[in-house]
Amino acid sequence: MDITSLFTQFLSGLTYGTILFLVAAGLSLIFGVMNILNFAHAALWLMGAYFSYTFWSWMQGNSFAFWLSIPLAGLAAAAVGWVMEVVLIKRIYKRELYEQLLITYCIALIISDTIKLTWGVTNKLIVRPEMIRKPVFIFGAPLDSYFIFVILAGAAVAIGLWWFLKYTRYGHIVKAAVYSREMVGALGIPIPRIDTWVFTLGIFLAGFAGGIQAPIGSITLGMDTAIIIQAFCVVVIGGFGSLLGTLVGSLIVGEVFSFTILFWPEGAMVLIFVITAAILIVRPWGLFGTPMRT
Amino acid sequence: MNFRKTAAFFVTVITCLFFFGMTGAKAAEPYHLGVALGLTGTGALYSADQVEAIKLAAEEINAKGGFLGRHKIELFIRDTQTKPDVGVREVKDLILRDKIKAVINDYSSAVAMAVKPIAQEYKVLHIAAISNSENITKINPSPYTFQVVPNSYMQAKAAAVATAKMAKLKGWKEYITIASDYEWGRSTQAEAVKILKEMVPNLTLKKEFCPRLGEAQYTSYITGIMALKPDFVYGSLASNDNVAWMEQAKTYGFFDKIAYPGSLISVTELILQAKTLPRNLIALTRAPFFAHLDIPMMADFVKNYRAKYNKFPSDWAVLGYDAVYALKQGVEKAKTIDTEKVKDSMKGLTVNLTRGKLTFRTIDNQLSCSSYVGTITDDPKYPFPIYKDIVEVKGSESERPESEILEARKAAKK
Repeated sequence: MDITSLFTQFLSGLTYGTILFLVAAGLSLIFGVMNILNFAHAALWLMGAYFSYTFWSWMQGNSFAFWLSIPLAGLAAAAVGWVMEVVLIKRIYKRELYEQLLITYCIALIISDTIKLTWGVTNKLIVRPEMIRKPVFIFGAPLDSYFIFVILAGAAVAIGLWWFLKYTRYGHIVKAAVYSREMVGALGIPIPRIDTWVFTLGIFLAGFAGGIQAPIGSITLGMDTAIIIQAFCVVVIGGFGSLLGTLVGSLIVGEVFSFTILFWPEGAMVLIFVITAAILIVRPWGLFGTPMRT
Repeated sequence: MNFRKTAAFFVTVITCLFFFGMTGAKAAEPYHLGVALGLTGTGALYSADQVEAIKLAAEEINAKGGFLGRHKIELFIRDTQTKPDVGVREVKDLILRDKIKAVINDYSSAVAMAVKPIAQEYKVLHIAAISNSENITKINPSPYTFQVVPNSYMQAKAAAVATAKMAKLKGWKEYITIASDYEWGRSTQAEAVKILKEMVPNLTLKKEFCPRLGEAQYTSYITGIMALKPDFVYGSLASNDNVAWMEQAKTYGFFDKIAYPGSLISVTELILQAKTLPRNLIALTRAPFFAHLDIPMMADFVKNYRAKYNKFPSDWAVLGYDAVYALKQGVEKAKTIDTEKVKDSMKGLTVNLTRGKLTFRTIDNQLSCSSYVGTITDDPKYPFPIYKDIVEVKGSESERPESEILEARKAAKK
C-alpha cells in the first residue's frame, strides 16, 4: 500500500466525516440546548435533499441553479422544522426520554410518508455542472471535485457555528442554556423562543446537509435510516451539545470507517459501534461533552 | 331444357358462392392478441417501446393476411400500471370481454407471476417478453406460459461467464467483489465467484466488500478498491444501490481505471444517458439490436422500426417484436389458431427471430436465448454509445441445469 493510496483513503474519510458533521451538528445542537433526542432529524435531512432536487428542477437551465438549491433546501427544511417545533415538539419537552424518542420516531415515519406522497418512489438525480464531474488530484490522490465544496461547506458551518456561539449574544444564551436552562430562564430570557430558534437552526443544518448530499448520488427513500445511526454515533463519541465534539466525532467515524474498509471491510461499521459503546461505558458524556449538565 | 340448364347453372353458382362465402367468413376470423403491460408506473418507459414493436409486428403480419395468411391480428392493449392486482384484473377482462387467445405480459415479474395462473385457468397463451424472473417458468410451471427474454439466472450466469471469458482474454489476475449485504447480493456474488474459480482457476479474489443495503456513501469503498488496484471488480449491486455506486464511482474516474463488468445497461439507458454514461464500462444487456444486424430479420426490423417511429429500437422493442413472431411460428406449426394446439406446437419449438434461431426448452418453455456483455463505447454510426467487443453468452451456456429445476419444483411442492 503506497502513501498516495493512504492519503486517498484519508481524503475519503475526511469527506465522509464532513457529511456526517453536517448532519450531526444540528442533532447535537438540538439535544444540547433542548434535551430533545430528535429521531426525525435524518428524515428532515432527506427532505432537504428532495427540496434541493425540486429547487434545482425549477431553476434548471440557470447556471446558479445547482448551487442555489443547496441553501434553499436548508431554508425550506427550516420552515418545516419551525412548524414542527411550534406544533409538536413544544409539547414534549418535559416528557421522558423514551417518550421523546417514540414521538420523534413517529414524526420520522410521517415525514418519510410525506416525502413518498410528494415526490413519489422513483429516484431523483441532480445533474452536476460539467466543472464538477471529474476528479481532481491532490498530491496524486484522486478526489471527487464536488467534495472540495463539501469540505469547504463543512468548514464554513463549523466556523460559523463556533463564531455564533462564541461571539454573539444569542450564542452565549444558547451556550448557557446547554448548562442550565433554569438559570437562563431565571434571567428573564424567554426559553421557549430560544428553543424554537435553536430547533429551527438545527433543522436548517439538516436540510442544508441534505442539499449537499443530493448531488453525491441519487436521492432515494430510506437513505435516512442508515445515516441517523451514524449521526448518533458521532454525537455520542464527541459529546452531545459540543460543537468541537461533533466535529472531532465526525472525523473519527469518517476516518475509522474509511481506513477499516481498506484493511478489514467486514468490520468497518462494527468498529464504529465498538468505539461508541466504549465511550458510553467509560465516558458517557463523550470526548468533549460535560457531565455537569443539569 | 334451357330453363333447366339455366336453373342448374344458377344453383351451382349460388352453391359455390355459399361455400366460398363460408370459407371467406372463416378467413376473416381475427386473432385476438392481448397486450397487458405496465404503461404507467415504473415499467412505463420500457413498456412503451414494447407496444410500438408489437404494433409493427402485427402490421407486418396483417399485411400478409395475418396468421396463416388469413387470421388478422387484432391488438387489445391494456395498462397493468405495473401492479399485480391491476394486471390480473385487466387480463381477466381481456379474456372474458375481448376473447383474447394470447397475452403478452408484463414489464414486472410480479405481474407476470400473478397473471400466469389466470392464463392457465382460462387456457390462454401467456408470453413473458420483458419480465425475467426465473420463477415465472421454473416453479409451478404453466404449459401456457412462455418466456422469450433471458431469465434472471441466465443473466447472472452470463455476466459471470462473460467476465471469465474476458479475464482469460485480457489476462486478468486479481479481482474484487462488491455486493449489497443481503440475500440476493451475497448469493449472486457467491455464484459468480464459483463460476470464475471454475473457469479461470488462476484468478485471485483479493477482497470482498459488502456495503449495507441502502448505502448512500460509497466514497471509502471506491477509493479503497482503487487503492488495491485489482484488474476488475465484479459488482452485485442492484437498483438504487447500483445507481448510487455508479454515480459516485464515475466522479472518481473509477471506470476509466478498473474494469467493472456485469452491470445491466440496456439500449434504453444507452440512448437516454448518452452524455453521462461512463465509457469503457463493461455492461450486460438482454437484446441489443446492434449485436445481430447481420441477421436479415433484425436488419429489417431496425429499418422498419426507425422508419415508423424515427428512433432506434430498445431491447424491450426487440423482445416485444420477437414475442409476436414466436407466436406466429407456433401458429404456423400448429396450422391452426386453436390455443391448445398452438401451445403444444410451441413446446420445444425452434423459432427464427431477430436474435437468430432459438429454441423453447421443453422443461420450462424458456427460450434458450443469449445475454450480451460488452464495453460501452462511442460509435460514429449512432448518436449514443453502443457495446463493443460483445461477448454473446448463449442460452445453452447460461441456463440452469434441468436437474436443478426439477429439484426446485420438488422442494416447492413440499
